[in-house]
Amino acid sequence: MSVAASPGPAAAATTVIPNFGHADSCVLHNRFFCWHWFTSHWNDTFAPALVQHIVLTVIAVGIGFVVSLGLALVAYRLHWLERPIGWVAGWLYVIPSLALFQLLVPITGLTTTTAEIALVSYTLLVLFRNVLIGLRDVSPDIREAARAMGMSRLQSLARVELPLAVPAIVAGLRIATVTVVSLATVAAFVIDRGLGPLILRAIGQGLFKTEFVAAGALAVALAITADALLVGARWLLVPWTRRGPR
Amino acid sequence: MHPLSHEKATARLLRRIAAGTLALALVPGLLAACGSSSKKSSGTGGAASTGPGVHKPAVTLGAKNFTEEFVLGQLYTQALQAKGYRITLKNNIGSTEIVDKALTSGQIDAYPEYTGTILSELAHQNTRPSTAAATFAAAKAFEKSRGFTLTQMTPFIDTDALATKPPYATQHGLGTVADLKKLKGAILGGPPEFQTRAQGLPGLKRVYGVTSSNITFKPLSIGLQYQALDGGQVQLADVFTTDGQLSRGGYTLLKDPKNLFGFQNVAMVISQKVLGREGPAFLETIDAVSVHLNDEAMRRMNAAVDLDKQSPAAVAHQFLQANRLL
Amino acid sequence: MNDFTRAFSFIGSHQPLLWQKTAEHMELSGAALGIATVIALPLGLWLGHLRRGSFLAINVSNVGRALPSLALISIGMGLLGIGFWNVSVALVVLAVPIMLTNAYVAIEQADPDIVDAARGMGMSGWQVFSRIKLPLGVPLLFAGIRTATLYVIATATLAAVGGGGGLGEIIVNQASYRFEGVLGAALWVAALALVADLGLAQLQRVLTPRGLRRPGHPRLLAIRPAADARARSANLATAPGRPN
Repeated sequence: MSVAASPGPAAAATTVIPNFGHADSCVLHNRFFCWHWFTSHWNDTFAPALVQHIVLTVIAVGIGFVVSLGLALVAYRLHWLERPIGWVAGWLYVIPSLALFQLLVPITGLTTTTAEIALVSYTLLVLFRNVLIGLRDVSPDIREAARAMGMSRLQSLARVELPLAVPAIVAGLRIATVTVVSLATVAAFVIDRGLGPLILRAIGQGLFKTEFVAAGALAVALAITADALLVGARWLLVPWTRRGPR
Repeated sequence: MHPLSHEKATARLLRRIAAGTLALALVPGLLAACGSSSKKSSGTGGAASTGPGVHKPAVTLGAKNFTEEFVLGQLYTQALQAKGYRITLKNNIGSTEIVDKALTSGQIDAYPEYTGTILSELAHQNTRPSTAAATFAAAKAFEKSRGFTLTQMTPFIDTDALATKPPYATQHGLGTVADLKKLKGAILGGPPEFQTRAQGLPGLKRVYGVTSSNITFKPLSIGLQYQALDGGQVQLADVFTTDGQLSRGGYTLLKDPKNLFGFQNVAMVISQKVLGREGPAFLETIDAVSVHLNDEAMRRMNAAVDLDKQSPAAVAHQFLQANRLL
Repeated sequence: MNDFTRAFSFIGSHQPLLWQKTAEHMELSGAALGIATVIALPLGLWLGHLRRGSFLAINVSNVGRALPSLALISIGMGLLGIGFWNVSVALVVLAVPIMLTNAYVAIEQADPDIVDAARGMGMSGWQVFSRIKLPLGVPLLFAGIRTATLYVIATATLAAVGGGGGLGEIIVNQASYRFEGVLGAALWVAALALVADLGLAQLQRVLTPRGLRRPGHPRLLAIRPAADARARSANLATAPGRPN
């Protein structure tokens, strides 16, 4: 179809259209994964997105952990708070991520803050629950012994109960981290950061398989790596559980 | 072993080592993030150190959520940065409404928009001017009334069009949009907004008398239409006239004699205040780029991105260099 | 909060659309859950009864949790094309691990003393399974079904990207429905998920044998040392796990 040629500005300048070159046959046939395309675009496409994704995850899990730790400590002391906090965290958890991101937009705009608030919400339930269970699992005998040694409540908490809760806390951190890595891809609907936008853009480019397969694989690899790092951290932090039954 | 019987000093030491290791692992990650995130959004790191823009305040450009806009965003960003302006590109913001909201709320200062879309989607005017120049003038008047303005329009026009596969067109004798009335229950695929836009289904009905007995609509994300056409999931698709895929051949575009799809040149919508702040060279730089954007150029650049899977930034860079704009 | 008032008025004025999309949404979720149940439940229950394949059964849900659903839907599209069935497959792939692991642990963690006593009473393997292990495992089993259900309903919002229909189609289509539509649909789907959760929680309560019911929030199940320790070490279970 041709609409009458538009007048436009006096095009005194001649336009040069360079030869942009052609993709190799793997890409042109849109095969499942084109390694060459992946490596040649690692620097400009995948590496920045991966780093952004890591940053999104670390901030969300970090803030989520601090908040959940605080809430759990409060609920540890004031038992009646456990239910309401658990409910709110549970409700936040149930809301589909796409919906939660959009619900925050009127409040915090199309910004990273919106994405982070939503991602933090998804960590609260698991972390709150696991910290609390970890603390509760400490046998009353140990708590009494700590008190008998002259420790204050705070000292007992910091030096005895929390360290003993570390396995449960780390288990919660693992779940939270893997969940956030996965959910951060959905943040693509509100911000252009992380691995999610690569997937959406690949869909928009006629289902360019290499790009979304690579982005998905990177997200999974990131989750597995983070999980392994956390297991390693636990190994370092709780030497007394390295040998013997858990 | 147990925290109480374990030597407190050693436990503390081990914990500090663990914390330190984790921190060390994170710090380079964060540093890299700060570095490359500014690169990804073409932050001030890309600005040249000499030129008319060097002491001017920073500007944020936006781009909508499809290939042509990615390319346009990169073209203008790189050209301006070459002249020393500090430009941040917020890419892939969303559809017209979302980007316009970002503009009016000050999150971005400018973005490339289509003249016809300004009239029908933003100004809600359903009159269809009969020339491209008239469309541009009306759009400019509208934007001026709300504190914005338009830069010179590009030579190229990118309107919607209805595409189909040649065998199907021959089989049903489809030459123009009006011929859709011959069909019964054909499936038309397009972006969801096609259902409600004036230049979409309602327009087909109003201008050509094509009704829902002729075609059923199937919403598809932008970019999936050609797939769906090839796979037979839809018989017709709403496409853009400068789509890279069209250069490959194998698709018939239906003619639009009553000009339902209007004129859609591109011009930057920019806040008048920002334009004043940045000085005349800013506008000149943008116009110098726009002048070179004709149909052929846009189609080839879109094809490079969509078919050859090159990055919009690289394609824009090559084009600007070839035309001495960098 | 202007946006929210407009969103509520959108909900009010677009009831037929919202209900139609809800029907599509539940159809998609139901199909995926049905298929996932048929695949995962028998396998998990059987493996748990035999106490075989524990490594696989327990870790498959960790892997499942790491799969970003957006990526999976797009890969499904790449392999199977656009539409209802492609998205269903992605949802099934995401739901099966949860159900499998929970079914496995539900049966495997039956108190060995009770099982021994039952065998001592002369019960056959099948009787031990159906009369002892299964009823004892119902809370955990149902927790898995419940988690998987909520997870699928949540992920189905992304189906719109793959042409699968559902409420997500409004949320991703700001161009047509404007922001109040997006917000309205987001509120609607959040409410849908919460209602489903409450309903399933009630169902879980009803199905749990009276002796096993404990007070407290169903999500924060009261501590049962042995079983919970094993469940916790498997990183699952009473913990919902869903990346959607």
